[in-house]
Amino acid sequence: MTTGTITTTSLPALAVTGLTVRFALGRARGRRIPPQVHAATDVSFDLHPGRVLALVGESGCGKSVLTGALLGLLPANATVTGAAGLSGPAGSLDLLTTGRTTLARQVRGRRIALVPQSAATSLTPVRSARAQLEEVVRELCPGTDARVRADSLAERVGLAPADLDRFPHELSGGMAQRVAVALALAGEPQVVLADEPTAGLDRPLVDRTLGLLREVADAGCAVLLITHDLGALRRVPGAVDDVAVMYAGRLLESGPAADVLAAPGHDYTRELLAALPSGGLVPIPGQPPQLTDLPAGCAWHRRRPGRCDGGDVVHRTGARSVRCRALEAGPC
Amino acid sequence: MLSAERMDAGHQPGVPVVRGLDLTVQPGQVVGLAGPSGSGKTTVARVLGRLLAPLAGSVTVDGYRSPGVRYAVPRASRTAVAMLFQSPRLSVDPRLSLADVVAEPLRVRGTPTAGRRNTAARSRRVAELAEEVGLTGDLLQRRPAEVSDGQLQRACLARALAQQPRYLVCDEMTAMLDASTTAALVGVVRDRVRAGSLGVVAISHDEDLLAVWADSTVHLPAHPPVATTRAAGTAR
Amino acid sequence: MADRDLRLPLGVGVLVLLVAYATLVPWVAGVDDRVTDFSAARLAPSPGHPFGTDSAGRDLFVRTAAGLRVSLLIAVVCAALSTVLGAVVGAVSAAAGGWVDRLVMRLVDGINAVPHLLLGIVLVALFRGSLVAIVASIALTHWTQVARIVRAEVLSLRDRPHVDAAVLGGASRWRVVHRHLLPAALPQALVAAVLLLPHAVWHESTLSFLGLGLPPHRPSLGTLLEEARSSLLLGGWWTLLFPALSLVLTTLAVAAVGSGVRQRISAPRRGATLR
Repeated sequence: MTTGTITTTSLPALAVTGLTVRFALGRARGRRIPPQVHAATDVSFDLHPGRVLALVGESGCGKSVLTGALLGLLPANATVTGAAGLSGPAGSLDLLTTGRTTLARQVRGRRIALVPQSAATSLTPVRSARAQLEEVVRELCPGTDARVRADSLAERVGLAPADLDRFPHELSGGMAQRVAVALALAGEPQVVLADEPTAGLDRPLVDRTLGLLREVADAGCAVLLITHDLGALRRVPGAVDDVAVMYAGRLLESGPAADVLAAPGHDYTRELLAALPSGGLVPIPGQPPQLTDLPAGCAWHRRRPGRCDGGDVVHRTGARSVRCRALEAGPC
Repeated sequence: MLSAERMDAGHQPGVPVVRGLDLTVQPGQVVGLAGPSGSGKTTVARVLGRLLAPLAGSVTVDGYRSPGVRYAVPRASRTAVAMLFQSPRLSVDPRLSLADVVAEPLRVRGTPTAGRRNTAARSRRVAELAEEVGLTGDLLQRRPAEVSDGQLQRACLARALAQQPRYLVCDEMTAMLDASTTAALVGVVRDRVRAGSLGVVAISHDEDLLAVWADSTVHLPAHPPVATTRAAGTAR
Repeated sequence: MADRDLRLPLGVGVLVLLVAYATLVPWVAGVDDRVTDFSAARLAPSPGHPFGTDSAGRDLFVRTAAGLRVSLLIAVVCAALSTVLGAVVGAVSAAAGGWVDRLVMRLVDGINAVPHLLLGIVLVALFRGSLVAIVASIALTHWTQVARIVRAEVLSLRDRPHVDAAVLGGASRWRVVHRHLLPAALPQALVAAVLLLPHAVWHESTLSFLGLGLPPHRPSLGTLLEEARSSLLLGGWWTLLFPALSLVLTTLAVAAVGSGVRQRISAPRRGATLR
């Protein structure tokens, strides 16, 4: 399933095709343990320069596993198949088949970077933000004046150069988030992955963080925003261009954000929107399934029988695609 | 009635973060408490739960004003107020299974389900509560490290309800949760409120949520920055 | 990574061998301190006497084992006593807070300010030559480390929401301490206990070496070392070598176990990210 983009003529900066992640489970601890966790199954999407793709879904749907897989940072018991083609001026390569050393020395931080969850705790508490940013700059862009470059990065994310001289505990949540984005931008990556960058932040900070990622994309990056905060996407129109909805390790629906949020094609998306305070706070019955016991196709019909056909056929209409058809219109 | 009258709250004597707060909640009512980060919402929650003494003013629970806080509050009055916290992971003992977490208030001496002889009654009660909050059987036997934040917060809600509180103080209980879990937990609390057995203080920075959930909302003003060079510990 | 993972099994292996030697050999051979055979005094190691004999003609292979047994027993009892005492005092002090905490911590400072050996000597001097006195002198001077560790752990947990939730649920102070705080601090306390073991072995040896511990005819690593002094001048190197070797091996093995266990406890849990 490809997140088609009508306006795009450019090549995708990152084309993920059929990405599948399995975790082998170890010894049983006193109870029967199924052999594998189906963390992600047949996930495909494209990230285009200048666009933000939001990957949404409930917690525990395998969203965060994707960043681990793309950055080559999954634990040893993971098996990753599929393809993730990174292409750009520096050449093309497949993230999933590239060796550890190459990923570490030539790809991570330089061509694809991560904005982590809870920025404040991912900074070293005993060194100033500047010391940490300059260290990264010296490593990623040798030959430049680290101080000058750190200042310009700070400015780019909306921080005063003086703010960099603070220690992490002296930064507010929003400033720490900006430092994290500056760290990700230090190596001028083509692709930025943001893994729940807004979790636990209050609303003004959420909105500012989304705005910041928008600016990053406008400057030419391809951005993947992983979030469970659909409300924020709805509240800040234009923050993201495309939306992909994930459930039980599979993409159920994708398309331009405005269209998907206004008229969801999959029953699950509809229920996600109805669960928002603005949608009426209607809880989704049941819980996301165990990732160890999944049907072959769309797992949604197991939770809400009769709501979709449970098929594994992807239906495409223009830029939108929906896995399996809804059978009855839910309350929306 | 759980009420705060002209309450000043803060962690340092003489440095109140919240000044002159008046707040009243009756069973069957949801009162929202909103405010930006650092406005003292959590401090107010702890004072209402009588985990922290107010710097001035008073907190009364059903007309009773406790002379002390924490263990000094008589047990009957202490259990009348339950709390839910922002981080479910920090709110449970990591060594206990979810079933044991939920059963904690049921084991306390003085409750009818306490003691070795009442194991059966206790597990029946745990099963009822688990069903109410939507925790399925298998999850109850797991440790906190083996479940998601949302499932853990469900267990925390079951534990809070197990102490049969008349008031529930929810301190950003949905901040770490996805929309669907938020809706589910709010739904459970709402049912109790509608039955008239529970009064809720819903603390959140999510105004959309409070607009839907709360009957009325008290807004805390942004706390004036104490020192501009050192942002108050919001980075945590 | 590799040597970290080896520490624990290696330490346990050596320790098991030492304990087997200390318990089985005296049990099979039988030890009677009063049996002396001066015709066999100070024999160098030989197939008949693998560790040689001492100045009274007693077999050192058996006597070292018996000495090790006594030393280990004293060490285990001391470590257990100090741990229990330290854990309870530390947990109560932290949970109570206020003046109780301040008082207890000043007491701990006071005990730590006096050299342990000096304090031990005073205690042993009051009840000369009894096992109980040695055990008490070591236990009463070493609980303070455990108390500090447990107190720090409990303090860090005391204000966590899960304790707040227990308080609101109606739990008494004692219930919170024994159900939530102590169990959480216990792993750290156990590591401290293991690390105390070699310390206790050395203390016992030192006291006995100084003639303040067990009477000379009762074998312990300390009395054996003390005896070795006179033999050493007459060329009996083995009288020093084997008891000293078993002391050093015990220390190293226990230290390896201690740091190995600590590594295991502090290592982040794998699979936690798999939620």
